[in-house]
Amino acid sequence: MEYTRKWSEKFSVEQVKIELLNTAYGNGHTFLARLDPITLFIWYIFFGIVPWFIHQETILLGMFVFVVITTFIAKVSPLIILILCLGLLSQGGYLLVASLFFGGNLATILPLLVLTLKLSVISLASISVFCSMDPDKLSNGLLKIGFPGQVSFSIAYGYRMLPSLLEEYHHIFLSFRLRGKAPEKKGFLYWRAIVYFCKVAVLSFYPLLLSTSKRARTTVEALETKGSFYGFNHPEVKKLKLANMKMQKHDYLFLGFTAFYLVCLFIFL
Amino acid sequence: MNFAQDRYTLTQSQKMMVFILSMSLYGLSNMITELLPSVYLGPIEFSVEYFAFIPLTLCILFHPLYAAIGAALGEVIFGEIMLGQFGGLGELEKFISFSLAMYIAGTMVTDPRNKRQVGTAAMIGVIIHQAISSIVDILKVWVGVDELEAVPGLVESVVVIEGFSFLNDVLFSGILFALIPTVYLVPRLYGKIEPLLGMKPRDTTNKYSLKEIIGPRLVVVGVLLAGAAFLFEFLSNSGLNLIEWELDLGPAFIWISLLVAFFITCLIIVYTLKKKKKTIHDKTEDRRISS
Repeated sequence: MEYTRKWSEKFSVEQVKIELLNTAYGNGHTFLARLDPITLFIWYIFFGIVPWFIHQETILLGMFVFVVITTFIAKVSPLIILILCLGLLSQGGYLLVASLFFGGNLATILPLLVLTLKLSVISLASISVFCSMDPDKLSNGLLKIGFPGQVSFSIAYGYRMLPSLLEEYHHIFLSFRLRGKAPEKKGFLYWRAIVYFCKVAVLSFYPLLLSTSKRARTTVEALETKGSFYGFNHPEVKKLKLANMKMQKHDYLFLGFTAFYLVCLFIFL
Repeated sequence: MNFAQDRYTLTQSQKMMVFILSMSLYGLSNMITELLPSVYLGPIEFSVEYFAFIPLTLCILFHPLYAAIGAALGEVIFGEIMLGQFGGLGELEKFISFSLAMYIAGTMVTDPRNKRQVGTAAMIGVIIHQAISSIVDILKVWVGVDELEAVPGLVESVVVIEGFSFLNDVLFSGILFALIPTVYLVPRLYGKIEPLLGMKPRDTTNKYSLKEIIGPRLVVVGVLLAGAAFLFEFLSNSGLNLIEWELDLGPAFIWISLLVAFFITCLIIVYTLKKKKKTIHDKTEDRRISS
């Protein structure tokens, strides 16, 4: 429970909001951030799928080195890397313990390491790509590769609204706690306190459901006034909106270098 | 009867409202559950997997399709992209399984005031979602580890771990954070929340069916994708042999075939998304003209 309290102190609402805005808008100046979204998507699609089908350790290792370098270039926040490492380690370790229990031996470690390597290549690639795109860029990129306008709108909306929604939820939660009565006895392993907190966390959604639905209505009315639905359904509007997105010299250079590196990997290893 | 059904069809703006509502609320809850710590009792993990009651409630109260898609998108945007944990293509699987499960749960309820119906729907929604995701997780290890049978104990351990987390999620998160809150919230919100979005409460006469989303196209695409996955697996296995035997041709061959296969898959996905959106749009236009 001490552990829980420590975490809850670290993740105060303000802290979370700051961290969120930082991940969203913090890395606008890195090399990857200046690339065109389409370049990043192409790059990512390769690194997101191909590692699954490669079983040669040396090639995987080479890819791993490459994505580590891109992650470094993208200046991803250390907190995210930490979360990723913990997740990978716990998953791999868990599998290992369980397979030892079922009569595996040390030979089990190698395939698991390869699996972990694959997973880390994929997740590092996604982190370096998606952390270096700010929301506007991401939504424009998605729009360009044919996602519906609603999706890109939702991303922009999410980034705008989430901090205020979080604050509202926090207020409701606090007012529930103010008016309610916390359990006097903590119970075994604090279970009464945990149950109480869970109950309040769920109940707080009731007022939030109603107020958010009002807000959703206002949003949609505003969208209608701006004529956004016309834009969602007519390709020429989209074209006009995305006219400034173009692949430039450094995009081609980046893709070319990646391809060169990978071909070298495949040939020499 | 027919008239009553026509009256419930939503305009595009109302669909968007349901979509935004479900997206922002479920996204918010997702962020909260991401930040909540999990408690370990030995190997057993007690964690709040998700607040499934929010999409379940909304799918039962409103049109299930838009609420389900909104919730799934909210999870991706708020819970993943904004926290910098976007898994890219892996999210596609989550998106599909989650929206499918929530949609099915929503279609099962005909009367939101009937608590037994709501409860059954909530549990079934959670079970479908968890079952799909555990199967996919098992498949991931199966594809990711070459010659799985050669490794002693790995198959059993993966199945046991996934089965265990399935049971844990269904019994713990499912009952505490899906069943109880949904049964509590749905009858209370019914008739209160709909006027805020400017629509009539759903009445017992209108039903949704799975046919609306599972058309022949979806089945064909699913089969194609599964086929593509097996092709990749086959290519990679034969590719290893090629590298061993003839060093010059091998890598280039895998390289090219992989690239071609991926481009085809991506094209299919993009094409279907476009087409789906177009048909949805056409349908709404038709409805508006006819009503």
